[in-house]
Amino acid sequence: MMIGYALLMFVPFTWTVITSFKTLPDATRLTVIPSPFTLAAWEYAIGRLEPSVVVLFGNSFFIATVVTLSNLVLGSLAGYAFARLRFPGREALFLIVLATLMIPDQLRLVPVYILFSGLGLTIGTGQYVAVILVMAISATSIFLLRQYFLTIPRELEEAARIDGAGFFTTFWRVMLPLATPALAAVTILQFQGTWNSFFWPVVFLIDPPHQTLPIGLTFFRLTGGQGTNWPPLMATVVIATIPILVLYIFFQRYFVEGIAASGVKG
Amino acid sequence: MAGAAAPKPGARIGARQETLAGYALVAVPMLFFLVLNIGTFFYAAYISVWKWNIRTGPVEFVGLRNFERILTDPVFQSAVKNTIYYTVIWVPLTMAVGLFLAVVVNQKIRGQTAFRAAFYFPAIASSAAITMLWIFLVSPYGLFNEVRGALGLNPLFQFFGYGPNENWIGDYRAAMNTVIVLNAWTTSGTFMLFYLASLQAISHEVYEAAAIDGADAWQAFWRITFPLLRPGHFFVATVGVIGGLQVFDQAFIAGSPNGDPANALMTIVLYLYNTLFIQINPGYAAAVGIVLFVIIFTATLIQRQLFGRTPGW
Repeated sequence: MMIGYALLMFVPFTWTVITSFKTLPDATRLTVIPSPFTLAAWEYAIGRLEPSVVVLFGNSFFIATVVTLSNLVLGSLAGYAFARLRFPGREALFLIVLATLMIPDQLRLVPVYILFSGLGLTIGTGQYVAVILVMAISATSIFLLRQYFLTIPRELEEAARIDGAGFFTTFWRVMLPLATPALAAVTILQFQGTWNSFFWPVVFLIDPPHQTLPIGLTFFRLTGGQGTNWPPLMATVVIATIPILVLYIFFQRYFVEGIAASGVKG
Repeated sequence: MAGAAAPKPGARIGARQETLAGYALVAVPMLFFLVLNIGTFFYAAYISVWKWNIRTGPVEFVGLRNFERILTDPVFQSAVKNTIYYTVIWVPLTMAVGLFLAVVVNQKIRGQTAFRAAFYFPAIASSAAITMLWIFLVSPYGLFNEVRGALGLNPLFQFFGYGPNENWIGDYRAAMNTVIVLNAWTTSGTFMLFYLASLQAISHEVYEAAAIDGADAWQAFWRITFPLLRPGHFFVATVGVIGGLQVFDQAFIAGSPNGDPANALMTIVLYLYNTLFIQINPGYAAAVGIVLFVIIFTATLIQRQLFGRTPGW
C-alpha cells in the first residue's frame, strides 16, 4: 500500500510528460502511449508561444541565479558578523532581522509597489531589478548561516588572527570554507525558492518578455488563449520543473534537512 | 553588550576594528530590511488613510474610511469566507496526511529514504506548474474523470450532483475543494518533514515501556506518540494557518485575479492584488493588507492560547 501511495506521487507528473508528446485530441484520451507520438507541442512551446519558453527559461534562470548569489554574499557576511563579531547593538539588529519574518509579504505589497513604481522599477528592465531587490536578502539565509557559523570552534579563527589575518581574511580563508554545507543548503533552497516564486514576480513582471516560467505559464492559460491547448502547456510545465527535479535528485538531503531545520517555508 | 567578553589587555585597537567590521558587514542587509520590511509596515499604515493615486500619490485624506468600506464590501466578505473555509479544511487535512506519512516513513523499513523522497516530491515543483498540471487532471476530459468513469464510480458522483465530465476547477461548487485537495497533496510532504523532526525527538524507551505494559501499536500511537507530538502539532498548525490565510498562487492561477468562477476562488490576498491592480485603489488595498495582517496575528495568538506554552516555544 505504501509503495502504491509512493508511486501515486509520480502519476500526475508522468502523465504530464506523456501528454506533452501527444496531439490535442489524443491528450483527452486515457492512453499511456501517445498515438501518434509527436514533438509538435514542444516545437509549439519553443517556437510559437509568445513569449517562447526559451525566453521564460532564461528569465527564470537569470533571476534565480542573481537572487541566490546575493543571498549567499549578503547572508554569509551578515551571518558571520552576527555569529562572531562583537559590536554595540548586535542583538537588537538581529532581532530586527528575525522580526521581518513576522511581516507577511502581502502587507508589503502596496508600499513596496508604490516605492518601486516611484523609482521607475515597474517598467522595462526595471522589472527585473524590482523582483531581485525585493528578494535580494532573506532573514532565513542570514539565520541559517549564523547558526552554522556559531557551531564552528573559535580556536580555528583565533589561530588565524594570531597569524596576523584581519577580519575579512579570516572570514574568507577560514570561516567560509568551513561553512560549505550551510552555503550549499542556502544555495539549493534559495535557487529552488526563487525559481518557483510566484507572488513578487506576478506583481512586477508585467511585460511578457520579462516574465519567468511560472508567470508566463499562468498567463498562457488566463489571457493567452491557450486555456485548453494542453500538450504545449504540459511541455511548459515539464520545462519549469526539470531543473528543480534535477537539483532534487542530486541534493535531496539538503531539501529534506534544510526544510526541516528552517521550518520557515510554509 | 550582552555576550561581549571582557576585552583582553592590548586588544583595544582590535575591538574598534571589530565594531567597524561588524557594522560594515551587516549594513547592506539591514538597509534592505529597514526600507523594504520594517519601513513598509509604517508606509502601508500611512497609505491606508488616504485616497491614493497609483501614479501621483496622495489625493485626499480619508481617515478610516477605507477600513469602514472593508466592513461592507461584499467581495471582501466572500474573500474572508473562502479563506477561512480553505484554512479550516486544508490545515487539519494536510496535518493528518503529513502525520500519517511521517509515522510511516519513521518506521525501520527498507527504502525509508526513498519513501521520504517520494512523499516530498510534489512539494518541490512550482505552484504554477503543479496547479496547471492539476487543472489538466481535473478538466472535463482529464485523467481524473476518465479514471473514475473506468472504475465505475460515476453513479456515486452523480449522487452528489456531479456529471461524468464535471469541470472541477470551473464549477463554483467544486473549485475551492479542488484547490484544497491539490494543496493538501503538495504540502503534506512538507508537513511530513516537520513531523519527522518531532517524531525523532521521542525517546525509544517510552515505547519499550509501553510494549512491556502490553500496548499495541494503535494504542502506542494514540496514547504516546500523538500527545508527545504536541510541540510538533503546534508548530505545524501555526505554519499551516499562517500559510492557509495567505493562500494566493493557486487561486490566481486557476481563477485569475477575479477569483473566478463567481468569486469561488476569491481569497483575501487575491483580493488585495485585485484592489491594487484591477480596481487600482492603493489606499484601499493598503487597508486590506493591514486587515489581513491583523487576522493572521490574531489567529497565531489564539493558537498559542489553545496549545498553551509548549516546551521550546
